[in-house]
Amino acid sequence: MSLLRKRSLPSERLAFNFLLFLVGALFIVIAMRLWFLQVYKGDYYLQKAQDNVQRRQHIYAPRGLFLDREGRLLAVNEPSYSLALVREDTPDIEKTLKQISRWTGMPLEDLNKEFERGRRMVRSFENQILVSNLSFDVLTRVETDAPYWPGVKVVVQPRRKYLQGEVFSHVLGYVALANEQELAADPGLRLGDNVGKHGLEFAMESVLRGKKGLKQLEVDASGRILREHTLVQPESGQDLHLSIDLDLQTHIYSVMQGKTGAVVVMDADSGQVLAMVSTPGYDNNKFVYGITGRQWTELVENPHRPLRNRSIQNAYPPGSVFKPLMAALALEQPSIHPGEQVFCSGSYRLGNRVFRCWQGHGRVNMNRALVESCDTYFYQLGEKLGVDRISAFSLESGLGRQTGITLPFERSGLIPTRDWKRERFNDAWRGGDNLNLAIGQGFTQVTPLQMTRLTAAIANGGNLYRPSLLLEEKKLDPQPLPWKKETLDFIYQAMLDTVEKERGTARRLRTKDVKVGGKTGTAQVVRLMPEHKEDDPEAVEYWLRHHAWLISFAVNEDKRIAVTALVEHGGSGSSAAGPVIREIYDFIFSRKQESPQAAAQDD
Amino acid sequence: MIDRQLILHMNWAMLALLVLLFAIGVLNLYSASAYRIGEETTLTPFYSKQLVWGLVGAVAMFLIMLFDYRHLKLLAWYVYAVSLILLVCVHFWGTSIYGAQRWLSLGFVSFQPSEMVKISALILTAYILSSIERPLNFRDLGKIFVIAIIPVLLVIKQPDLGSGLMILFLIGGIVLYHGIDKKLSKVLLVLIPLHMPLGWFFLHDYQKTRLLSFLDPTQDPLGSGYHLIQSQIAVGSGGFWGKGFMEGTQSQLRFLPEKHTDFAFSVFGEEWGFAGAIILLLLFCVFLYQILSVSQEAKDRFGSLICVGVFFYFFWQVLVNMGMVLGLLPVVGIPLPFISYGGTSAMVNFIMVGLVLNVSMRRFMFKS
Repeated sequence: MSLLRKRSLPSERLAFNFLLFLVGALFIVIAMRLWFLQVYKGDYYLQKAQDNVQRRQHIYAPRGLFLDREGRLLAVNEPSYSLALVREDTPDIEKTLKQISRWTGMPLEDLNKEFERGRRMVRSFENQILVSNLSFDVLTRVETDAPYWPGVKVVVQPRRKYLQGEVFSHVLGYVALANEQELAADPGLRLGDNVGKHGLEFAMESVLRGKKGLKQLEVDASGRILREHTLVQPESGQDLHLSIDLDLQTHIYSVMQGKTGAVVVMDADSGQVLAMVSTPGYDNNKFVYGITGRQWTELVENPHRPLRNRSIQNAYPPGSVFKPLMAALALEQPSIHPGEQVFCSGSYRLGNRVFRCWQGHGRVNMNRALVESCDTYFYQLGEKLGVDRISAFSLESGLGRQTGITLPFERSGLIPTRDWKRERFNDAWRGGDNLNLAIGQGFTQVTPLQMTRLTAAIANGGNLYRPSLLLEEKKLDPQPLPWKKETLDFIYQAMLDTVEKERGTARRLRTKDVKVGGKTGTAQVVRLMPEHKEDDPEAVEYWLRHHAWLISFAVNEDKRIAVTALVEHGGSGSSAAGPVIREIYDFIFSRKQESPQAAAQDD
Repeated sequence: MIDRQLILHMNWAMLALLVLLFAIGVLNLYSASAYRIGEETTLTPFYSKQLVWGLVGAVAMFLIMLFDYRHLKLLAWYVYAVSLILLVCVHFWGTSIYGAQRWLSLGFVSFQPSEMVKISALILTAYILSSIERPLNFRDLGKIFVIAIIPVLLVIKQPDLGSGLMILFLIGGIVLYHGIDKKLSKVLLVLIPLHMPLGWFFLHDYQKTRLLSFLDPTQDPLGSGYHLIQSQIAVGSGGFWGKGFMEGTQSQLRFLPEKHTDFAFSVFGEEWGFAGAIILLLLFCVFLYQILSVSQEAKDRFGSLICVGVFFYFFWQVLVNMGMVLGLLPVVGIPLPFISYGGTSAMVNFIMVGLVLNVSMRRFMFKS
């Protein structure tokens, strides 16, 4: 060992100790750091490691289906493919967005905008849907390339499909991508989700939607899914069986082709709507796919307003279909007798104003006045009864207020009163207003559904029901018509006579083996025309034509139904709306005679 | 050449540590080369390659032990020259991986001259210093500096900053051990820190971002800070007892980058926890201590300086690699000896140990 010392420089002894110190220091520093990371903050890092690996993803719940009253499908779900991005898995977002633009042909600026818009609404490590409804071409392209683009995901979502498209467009409405307000208002909605926007899809959203499930995914660093297990099972939305009959609805829609208007068929005994058609319709599937700006403009600028459900969203002056109600009110008065005759010379004078009847009927009693729709008779009733009684009675009979059907945007129509006129026009109610009111002209506006409901009540013995669209809902909120039994019977008979009698205005409706009653109406249009070319006389002529009304009921041994048809600018009620209802009765009552087996084979 | 005496004086403790560390390394690589897809696990054959390299390394180590290390004095300059030539060759004909031109292909196998130069520079420095029996003056230091700086610049040029700094630190370590003239050392203490900031301008951009992201890894968690963050998560999530062999999610699911090379220790830390990591650390420290004691037992200063060089060779690697994995130091591509995958570096590790064993087994021999 002495030799060793000789060999070393004196400083090397010191250096050796220093090196020993280095080893000790290495041990202490690294060991302390290990302790800090693994023991002191171990739980924290364990959580971080789990966050790396585990992701949660929603499982889409299938939306409830729509079926008609026989169980035939009206709206189904089909898979649709959307392109989504997981930001945290995407190394180069700018480049990836460019690639997505290349795949889908969507302009890059739009994609950037969409990405910026959505990123606030999507949590980290969740799919942010950028492009919905990929076409099959795009899908195959993306699927082949996606492995080279980490973060890009193809997401399968259920998508709504309306099998009959425009036939049911106003009843079902449509779903479309939830917008920002809807997303903000409803915590159950995620970016890229569809939500009901109109019709039953809107009104029954909470029932139809169901609840999303949750699954936990184990992923690797590139976001590849290794394992998954379901934490919460999705709950599918409830299927809805409509009271509507698919065949009837389709038939009516085809009958109404080329006409603008509305038809409502109601089961008078239950208040269930059997058909609700508004024409023109629109293809509600377009909204699901994401409607283009041009398609939207076309729909909105179409003067026939295809988006509007005319049976509840438009109110029209009732014209002569108001007369049964007037007659009923008169019958409720002890001072007025139905047998009393009034002479109709074709006009009626009030002060120095002359009110016209559509023809000179001679001496008419109440029954004849209804059957032949004599205005003069009702002018004198209007003068006798006055606005206060008429409007109160109308409201109680279900006009001028919402029926409460489960559809959005229902109009209440209008039954004018003195106060209303003073407020609206700053003018007193005048005698002439009473006369106009009596024949359903002037300010009064009703919806086709309100008229159907009233007709149904006349047919079913005086019960006003809240119209229902669902098969399980029957006789909702019954309210009695404020009509005495005799009144009801009288009106009922008068409406039958209108069909059966030689001079009845609704003669067209006569149907074998079925008791049919009706009342026509021809409502004068005092409305601004939509824009049109001044030099197109045909167009001008169309927009000035009267609206044609026909309310009707049909009764046989096993059913009582009420039907209303309104044809906008159709001319007279009898000639324009008559054939429509005629077709409906033919369809309903001739189909019924077929054997059930034959009917089943037709499906 | 080798007699019974030598075998008797074999440093068995050192050999045992070597085998243990290497075995741990291969075992850990087995886990690190696996990744899970679905329920299945796929293996890439890093661990088996490493095993082959280890065997080749063991043979090389044995060859190194066969002859008296003092013969290296005669070879020192030649070996040094050859490795410099090879480094220049790499510059012209090397193959590049990840943009760094470090490998020289020999047809069936490729190797890194930058690893070889570590050995040759070490031996040459030890040889020169062993003949100087006084603290280094300015001239001596200049000589050593020139010997060191040529390979360092060539290696950094590749670019391989880690290896370059390694050579510099290794030689610096030997020089410090040997001792520097007092006045000179005072001057250096002032001058070197002054020149450090200049180094910034020699760094590549990716090296600068690495340095910056070390200072604040959260600034770019998916970019350059990713390695640092994920590595700490891996080690930290191991907890006290670890997640178990092959059970590390960070490594198996590939959140850890470079998990079989520079970040192999984080795989180990994740799967074996604090308990395992501290044992591995302890093994390294005992290993380093063994090298130091051999340096003290060596029969001449050349042998002792070789051991000090080898000590620094391992010390810096352990320090820098563990420091990097644990987030104490910026990301520098330095492997952990015996644990990280790497053929040439495994070879060099074995040869380095061979040198120490050589010195150790001949500690009682007198000049022949």
